[in-house]
Amino acid sequence: MKVKILRQQAPFTESYWETFDADVPGDMSVAALIDYLNYRDDIVDENGKKTTRIGWECSCLQGVCGSCAMVINDVPALACETFVKDMSGDVLTIRPLRKFPVIHDLVVDRSQIQENLKQTDVCIGEYQPDFSKDEKKSKKEHALQYMIAKCLKCGLCLEVCPNYVNGKTFYGALFANDCYLVASRNKEKAVGISTQYAEHFGSACSKSLSCMDVCPMKIPTIAAMAAMNRG
Amino acid sequence: MQNAIVIGSGISGMACALRLAEAGVSVSLVSPFPSERSQSVMAAGGINAVLQDPVPGDSVTCHIEDTLKSGRGLSGREAVSGLCGRADEIISYLEKIGTVFSVDKTGAPVRRAFGGQSYRRTCYCGASTGKQIVSALVMEVRRYEAAGIIKRRMWSCFHSALIREGICYGVLLFDETTGGLEAEYADAVVIATGGQNALFGKTTGSTQCDGYTAGKLFMQGAELKNLEFIQYHPTTMETAQKRMLISEAARGEGGRLFYYEEAARSAGEGSAENLSSRKRVYFLEDEFGPRGNLMTRDIISRRIFTCGRDVYLDISFLDQRLIAERLPEVQDLCRKYKGIDVTREPIPVAPSVHFFMGGLAVHLDHETNIRNLFAVGECASMYHGANRLGGNSLLAAMYSGWVAAEEIAGRERPGARPDFTAMQEEETRLLLKKRESKSAFPVMYIRDMVAETMNKDLGISRDEEKLEKGIADVDYYLSIADKLSYDPNVMPYFNYSLTGILTLARAVLTCAKERKESRGAHFRSDYPEADERFAASSIISYQGGRYQVRLDKGHSYE
Repeated sequence: MKVKILRQQAPFTESYWETFDADVPGDMSVAALIDYLNYRDDIVDENGKKTTRIGWECSCLQGVCGSCAMVINDVPALACETFVKDMSGDVLTIRPLRKFPVIHDLVVDRSQIQENLKQTDVCIGEYQPDFSKDEKKSKKEHALQYMIAKCLKCGLCLEVCPNYVNGKTFYGALFANDCYLVASRNKEKAVGISTQYAEHFGSACSKSLSCMDVCPMKIPTIAAMAAMNRG
Repeated sequence: MQNAIVIGSGISGMACALRLAEAGVSVSLVSPFPSERSQSVMAAGGINAVLQDPVPGDSVTCHIEDTLKSGRGLSGREAVSGLCGRADEIISYLEKIGTVFSVDKTGAPVRRAFGGQSYRRTCYCGASTGKQIVSALVMEVRRYEAAGIIKRRMWSCFHSALIREGICYGVLLFDETTGGLEAEYADAVVIATGGQNALFGKTTGSTQCDGYTAGKLFMQGAELKNLEFIQYHPTTMETAQKRMLISEAARGEGGRLFYYEEAARSAGEGSAENLSSRKRVYFLEDEFGPRGNLMTRDIISRRIFTCGRDVYLDISFLDQRLIAERLPEVQDLCRKYKGIDVTREPIPVAPSVHFFMGGLAVHLDHETNIRNLFAVGECASMYHGANRLGGNSLLAAMYSGWVAAEEIAGRERPGARPDFTAMQEEETRLLLKKRESKSAFPVMYIRDMVAETMNKDLGISRDEEKLEKGIADVDYYLSIADKLSYDPNVMPYFNYSLTGILTLARAVLTCAKERKESRGAHFRSDYPEADERFAASSIISYQGGRYQVRLDKGHSYE
């Protein structure tokens, strides 16, 4: 199998494609594949030319930290839970997320995500639930809050989104979900956060819902949107 | 004090930063990546706390006793009393900032039973307690970031501490965006960098936790404690990328461990058909009776190791609905990474390094032997003694962060700061000099070698001969590490961190060699019994390349 990787040495240098040969078992994940290429005495391209080791980010390697988000065969995904056997074709293409500045190879700077959440005051402050809701509804909301608090801030939902460009005005699905989390866990902040939600999400989301297809945590963003729109 | 630097932004680092901020101390929160990437998010089980309405019979005293018992006499009563005594306050705080706990009809956190504990007292958030706590803390930190009291500093790695005459004044940081070293000064420095997984290569933990910070501080004069106590988790599954932890809940729900009886020589080894026709040996039940599979982590790990066979964990006989409801993450992991359907076939498991009871030696207020340098969370050694109780690590992460913060907030500012410009210039020169020498040696190759040594010579069952061999090997890596030139193929961090990591590895092996007894997680086949003469924490210090181990019988730390 050929593995084609879009590489870049430093933030403002040119990017270039490099191709590697890799004969690996199908049950390997793309993360394990990158490791396999990196962890040899020398790393060489398909022509045997010596090259530098591939820069990428990893931490948990089991789908709960969001470090290894990248674009694999044109699909934004976590490398640690994308498997070689599920890829079609003889060439596997890997490139960094496009919606964030590249630091090095597959490592990108996703700090815009945190910056936007900070600027719009997305924080619960003090837990003050709405006790007026009946038990069944509370239980359903609790389940949704639990799922949303699992958000990895990996940026895959932003990568795939047709509306998210660079995070200057439209903040994307992860923002919408966190707005719901704040509004539902502190009723005092519900009104304020709704305004931010409308300005940075509600008004520009074209509802392609592609974010839900790529979310590694399978967060039902549409449920958060429905709740926010109901107010 | 007016300002502090916190290195590491997992649960402990954030808990400390928040408590400091609440007291008006401004904080620089340093980590290469955001908190979502920390190992804290992987803690699944729960957090122990005796709440205001304990399960009948339970009490804070009982939680203290369980913790001390599990620590096999090495953890101090005063420290553990503080930890358990404030657990209730910690849960209230986490609720207040919006953590999504699993709750009952009234909205109060529910509690479950956990290994080694007398009563049901482990609060949890579904199957992702650590992640849920991280999410809540991140939001709370954000509030103080917006107010300008906490400043996050990303893409920065610890390089060394700025220490003069036993007092710490700040740190040198390697900035990945500029590629240079920068000095940051503060009244106090708090280390919250987690355990030392990378010493062992691939473990159940995060690849980010490599022990470098503890190793470097050790070289700079900080003492380390109880390094030989490393918890192995008995049921982990090997995959191409890491060792996946199969939750203890699988055994809690009735899972059974077994191996296959030796096959007749003629039978084809390993084929599925042959395996299924072979007799299963439920070795833990044979030895300990029907509850054998629920023995503590250290005992099961040792039995799996000594049986010398491939061991399996079977849950296939359990009700399918129960598996889907109570063990969904076990089912998912096995299916996703190994293509194993746990409702039909057993899971191949083996023990793996999981948690470090040892680390930087700290006093009750979490200050190290270097003034104004503190350590919290897994990188500090305090509450767990020779073995940690499940559900106590998240509790200790929160509590230790608070304790250090409260001490720092109440202290007078240190006096005039000495000048560190010369040191910064010298370290920068050394880094650049290394970078100029482009004879590539594979840093990662040495990292692999040390992991191999540690796994082989510092395994579940240790002896003098193996430990001595391990020490000789690491000494050899250390001797070449200094002569090696720069590997331009990997990030600068991997280059400059190598010696610190190797030095820590050497210290761990040395402590294990000096403890000539078996206690808790430390098992010596040549000294299989506990020996009262060793009933104290071990402290190791470093001076001019010499490693000095002593037993802390006079309780100089707690």
